[in-house]
Amino acid sequence: MQTHRLKSAWLPLLFVAAAAAAAVDFETEIKPILSKRCLECHGPEKQKSSFRVDGRLALLAGGDSGKPAVVAGDPAKSHLMFVLRTNDPDISMPPKGDRLSAAQLALLEQWITEGAVWPGQMEAVATKPVSDHWSLRPVVRLAIPPIPARGAVDAFLLAELTKQGLGFSKPAEPRALLRRASVTLTGLLPTAERADRFVADHARDADAAYRALVEELLASPHFGERWAQHWLDVIRWAETNGSEANLYRKNAWIYRDYVVRAFNTDLPYDRFIREQLAGDQLGAGDATGFLVAGPHVPAATVGQEPTAIRQARADRLDEVMQTLGASVLGLTVSCARCHNHKFDPISIKDYYSLTAVFQGVEFGGRRPELAPEHPRQQRAEELHRQVQARRAQLRDRLGVWSEDWGGYSEFHFPARQTQALRVEFASNYVSVDELEVFGPADQGRNLALAAAGTSLVGDQAMAQLRGEIAKANDGKFGTEGWKARAEKGAKTRPWVEIRFPHPQEVDRFRLSSNREYYFETDYLAGEGGGQLPPFRLLSQRPDGTWQEIGDTAALGRKVKADPLLRQADEALQGLIADLNEEGPRHSFVGRFIQPVDTRVLLRGSPETPGDAVPPAGFAVLGGDLDLDSSAPESVRRLRFAAWLTRPEHPLTARVMVNRLWHHVFGAGLVVTAADFGKAGMTPSHPALLDFLASEFTAPSRPGAQPWGVKDLLRTLVLSDAFRQDSAPSAEGLRRDAGSALLWRFPPRRVEAEVIRDSVLLASGKLDRSVGGRGFRIHDVKKTYAQWQVTDNHGPQTWRRMLYQERMRRVDDKIFTAFDFPDCGQVSAKRAISTTPLQALNLMNSDFIVEQARFVAEEAVKGAAPSDHAAQVRNGFRLLLGRDPSAAELAASVEVARESGLPVVCRALINSNEFGFLP
Amino acid sequence: MSFDPLHLSPQGRALLSRRNFLHQAGLTLGGVGLAKLLAMDGLLAADTGRPAAASGPIRPDIDPRRPYAPRKAHFPAAAEQVLIIYCPGAVSHVDTFDYKPALTRYHGQKPPGVPAVTFEGPTGSIAKPFWEFKPRGQSGKMTSELLPHLGALADDFCFVHSLHTQTSAHPQGENFFNTGFTAEGYPSFGAWVTYALGTANSELPAFVAINDPRGMARSGKNNFGSGFLPASFQGTDFNAKHPPANLARPSAYTPADDRRTSDLLARLNAGHLERFPDDNDLAARIATYELAGRMQMSVPDVMDLSSEPASIRQEYGVESGTELKREYAKNCLLARRLIEKGVRVVQLFNGSDPSGGNGITNWDSHSDILKTHAMQAEIMDQPTAALIADLKRRGLLEKTLIVWCTEFGRMPFLQGNGTGRDHNPDAFTCFLAGAGVKKGFSYGESDEFGAKAVVNKASVYDFNATILRLMGLDHERLTYYHNGLERRLTNVHGHYIKDLLA
Repeated sequence: MQTHRLKSAWLPLLFVAAAAAAAVDFETEIKPILSKRCLECHGPEKQKSSFRVDGRLALLAGGDSGKPAVVAGDPAKSHLMFVLRTNDPDISMPPKGDRLSAAQLALLEQWITEGAVWPGQMEAVATKPVSDHWSLRPVVRLAIPPIPARGAVDAFLLAELTKQGLGFSKPAEPRALLRRASVTLTGLLPTAERADRFVADHARDADAAYRALVEELLASPHFGERWAQHWLDVIRWAETNGSEANLYRKNAWIYRDYVVRAFNTDLPYDRFIREQLAGDQLGAGDATGFLVAGPHVPAATVGQEPTAIRQARADRLDEVMQTLGASVLGLTVSCARCHNHKFDPISIKDYYSLTAVFQGVEFGGRRPELAPEHPRQQRAEELHRQVQARRAQLRDRLGVWSEDWGGYSEFHFPARQTQALRVEFASNYVSVDELEVFGPADQGRNLALAAAGTSLVGDQAMAQLRGEIAKANDGKFGTEGWKARAEKGAKTRPWVEIRFPHPQEVDRFRLSSNREYYFETDYLAGEGGGQLPPFRLLSQRPDGTWQEIGDTAALGRKVKADPLLRQADEALQGLIADLNEEGPRHSFVGRFIQPVDTRVLLRGSPETPGDAVPPAGFAVLGGDLDLDSSAPESVRRLRFAAWLTRPEHPLTARVMVNRLWHHVFGAGLVVTAADFGKAGMTPSHPALLDFLASEFTAPSRPGAQPWGVKDLLRTLVLSDAFRQDSAPSAEGLRRDAGSALLWRFPPRRVEAEVIRDSVLLASGKLDRSVGGRGFRIHDVKKTYAQWQVTDNHGPQTWRRMLYQERMRRVDDKIFTAFDFPDCGQVSAKRAISTTPLQALNLMNSDFIVEQARFVAEEAVKGAAPSDHAAQVRNGFRLLLGRDPSAAELAASVEVARESGLPVVCRALINSNEFGFLP
Repeated sequence: MSFDPLHLSPQGRALLSRRNFLHQAGLTLGGVGLAKLLAMDGLLAADTGRPAAASGPIRPDIDPRRPYAPRKAHFPAAAEQVLIIYCPGAVSHVDTFDYKPALTRYHGQKPPGVPAVTFEGPTGSIAKPFWEFKPRGQSGKMTSELLPHLGALADDFCFVHSLHTQTSAHPQGENFFNTGFTAEGYPSFGAWVTYALGTANSELPAFVAINDPRGMARSGKNNFGSGFLPASFQGTDFNAKHPPANLARPSAYTPADDRRTSDLLARLNAGHLERFPDDNDLAARIATYELAGRMQMSVPDVMDLSSEPASIRQEYGVESGTELKREYAKNCLLARRLIEKGVRVVQLFNGSDPSGGNGITNWDSHSDILKTHAMQAEIMDQPTAALIADLKRRGLLEKTLIVWCTEFGRMPFLQGNGTGRDHNPDAFTCFLAGAGVKKGFSYGESDEFGAKAVVNKASVYDFNATILRLMGLDHERLTYYHNGLERRLTNVHGHYIKDLLA
């Protein structure tokens, strides 16, 4: 929002100077045009497109388009002249009546050329944008209301409740409290044993028992899983691209594991944000999965039209903006993509300045940069040591050996000095995207690169269209490679000579057919990463003759024939497979490219680029990062991340504490958790929100970690507000029907994950292992096919639902119906709806039928075969964490007798109580 | 312009899903609390609740216990139900309904103005229509021999020849046509309509998506999803061959087991509800179990085509032609039965993603269009025409609107390969028929080659706004608050096309 400080001082000199040019007179020639044709919609009455013509500064500022309407001295750059002249019916002005006459246009143009002189307003200076919107003002820590209360949170809440003549409800009964705390903090219902223990402890010392419970839950490895799920929801993270082919994003899940670990280790929130924006620079390369969490359209589906390619890139950057806006900023940033934000002080220039920060980010994968202490890196070190030990064995026994690294193959041999290597393939056709040679001096330096002066020579007659041999040492992996074919029955098959610029010591040869495809795609029919034919490797003697180093086919036969060798080879391959699974490897966590200049895209279109903008945060929040468009890619993200996580940033802490509150109490203090702008809601308890934000960044407890998520959650769940009963009261309902003031704990429905995980927990089938590759429920498909769900209930799916591969817009045929997000748009909170499909899925799916049987099997344990009452009681305890009432027992025993215990368990799983957070 | 918590819409209060007591005894409100709830459920009001506001959102009055109950339209509706026949892959308008004699004159030439590159790559020369055009019916409308059965009904159709879209890629095009946005994750047309209007038949889903026998279209579930609207309003997908997932009683249980499950469940829920008598969400959940039980009867019933007489089966082509055509014909029969039963929105797909099928999966025809369009037309033409004629005969077109559509058109010139036509986002044809629209009418024109829409250009927004209008809905006021914005099917664009209305 532009504010104008108008100075009323009359500046006769300037005016006279302009007038001396003997030209347009503003008062008599220009003002009448503006008044007659523009002022009705762009003046004191109406400000369509947030634009006014009744002041010089307003003209210079322009409206929602983000372009200045008038650039003094330059009519060509003046948007006013453009809209007056264009024939585009969407933007041409005036919208009604005749167009301006040629004479009028000429007058306006001359007036602008002469400096757009507006008598009396020539000294007015536009100030930088300011806003008095609550969320953009600094956080202010107010005194805690002097009300007797357990803690500050309760005091702030009671202050509002007492105004309505309300107070907290009585404390919740222990089983309800246990269920509530367990689901809130870990997403899992308590086991029957834990419930008994808690009830007993609670009877002795309610407060101590509850505090111990909270500590136990915060320390549980399942805590991170629960809160990761919330975070992944907001940024609509998924393991497929979306769009037509909806391809799998290989190894994207290492980001999911990062988020789980961040919550479990209580990584300070500011660090969490910095790593997600620039983890590649901070030893947490897996964290940048955040940047590419949104969907994108891959190149093949974009098509070949240059306009479509540019649009697709702009769309991808906008996905980054949406992720950042919804999760960290709490602002609908994308609203400023085509014009200045309608509600908030974000200009179109701000939007594109922010895209400049991420101009070097591209959707795709890379090998993540991990700090030495990163668990994945540590595991890799350990495996590397074992690989070396196994290699030593093979070196001793064989001298030469092959290794299959999935994306590429390696051939190891004793080090030798040579000026050239020769590879002779044992098949008529070969396709190689890259071949590499390494030596003992530097195991990471590829000596075969053309850039290192090495040249490749092959048989010209075998060359294939667009398969030039130089593509095999250009340093680029992917579909573009060297392709050679020999005639059928020809004596000579494809070969290549690798000629170094000078003799080199070499001991390892690596080649691949389409490494990128292997790294990037998964679960596609007919894609094995490309098979390479056997080959013979030779080195050149100083006299120019060739000496064989090894022959992979012969080597394979030798290994196969010797049990000891075979065992050593298999052990090595096993280690390599482990390393590929558990070490750092190419993963869909974004890749980085050379940033191009960023320009404002007028009306959001890449076809109408405007002024160049530097990387920056929002002007209204002092977002100048002191960078220009030459700034290195990573510096942009690092500096922006630092700006965003300043403790005094008015949004970052507020948005996060509100998010935590939302997931604890079911609704945020600001209900529109992803919109803290003017179109969002104002906080129900502004002082409390600011108190929590301030406590988050600067905790008052001595020694407490700033930005500590667990600390903040502890404060919330230890409050009386959280510990109170959820039953309705007539007075509460009368004064605050929505329970927003928290006169009771607002009960609510649990999410899809809680239902599924808790069923598995009750049946004793839940595999509680944390992290790693997710489980699959779908088929292996052709590139452009839709995913088909093939197994959504088998034993490999008996993990927490967080580990079900998150596929955009794939219906899992059970729990998607429970408002599981389709990961297309950002989602600060899930809808809660009720549909008959939910009922059908929870009554009839294979998953439920099987699990009901398993729960029944658990319930039978420890009960006499004929003791239906004991079995039913066990079933209630496993699923509902309580004993049945006498009436429930009688009815259930009758069902168990007639239909079997599984049918009782099926009913319990479907009961409202099971899916309800009391 | 912060939302004043006191500015609440009276409509839609019942969609406070849980903890909603407003329907009980006119309780006073702790303003902020209610506002929070409204926002949570996407019901932030901008119209301040004043009666007869001339603008601003109109919230549907949704009873959470009966989310599909019929609701009042914004104004009297010409059409109560809608049947969308969606043809994925892009039907060539210049080979079907948009007659362009200039193509014959310029056949084989490449006049200046033909772009060098289109979606799939380099372009070739102009090609005359691959099928002959003939005048049809009283109106004399020129349509091609590719779709003779549909051509015979031209007097009933209201063609729009001046459509244009925002993208030349299929999935984005499908998204744009069906949800108003090229990106994924927005509510589909059917979701918007059922959110606004509910449905007349409480035994069947309000919105049914009948997928092609070969599978889902390229945008999959996004074409009939609920996006950020409550999941209640997503399309339920099944076709003549495959019932909805988990509809049938599991083989592990007997009917008696099912009954006992339901009885025990009812008892458990009744006891629980006593503790939370105010909670409408709990009551709603109980109601959906009853509805699910009824669906277990009604859906197999509507899917059972065996009662259809031989003459009807023959007319639809259930017994003749290729396997794919026979399967699609059954889907057409199913569509009619659903419309007959009062289902609000039926979306019938004629084509899938490009992986299924038997040499042909949808209308996409980059090479050998002569063969591929013919194969696809063999599947679509007779059954679709029979469906429309059948609906008309039964008087169902009095209250049902038919929308035949595709995501974009095809180019008047060939691709570099010389046998196929590339994507054309700048001109394509769809038609409407039935309730509320003109008959034997053609609106708008593309240029003399069919390359670009030029006369009375109609955007997809305009087209969707018109369908909503026919259903009695104002596309500018049917909105849902999501993530900072009042979202619409038509984004911030579009005007309904008055000329199409009867």
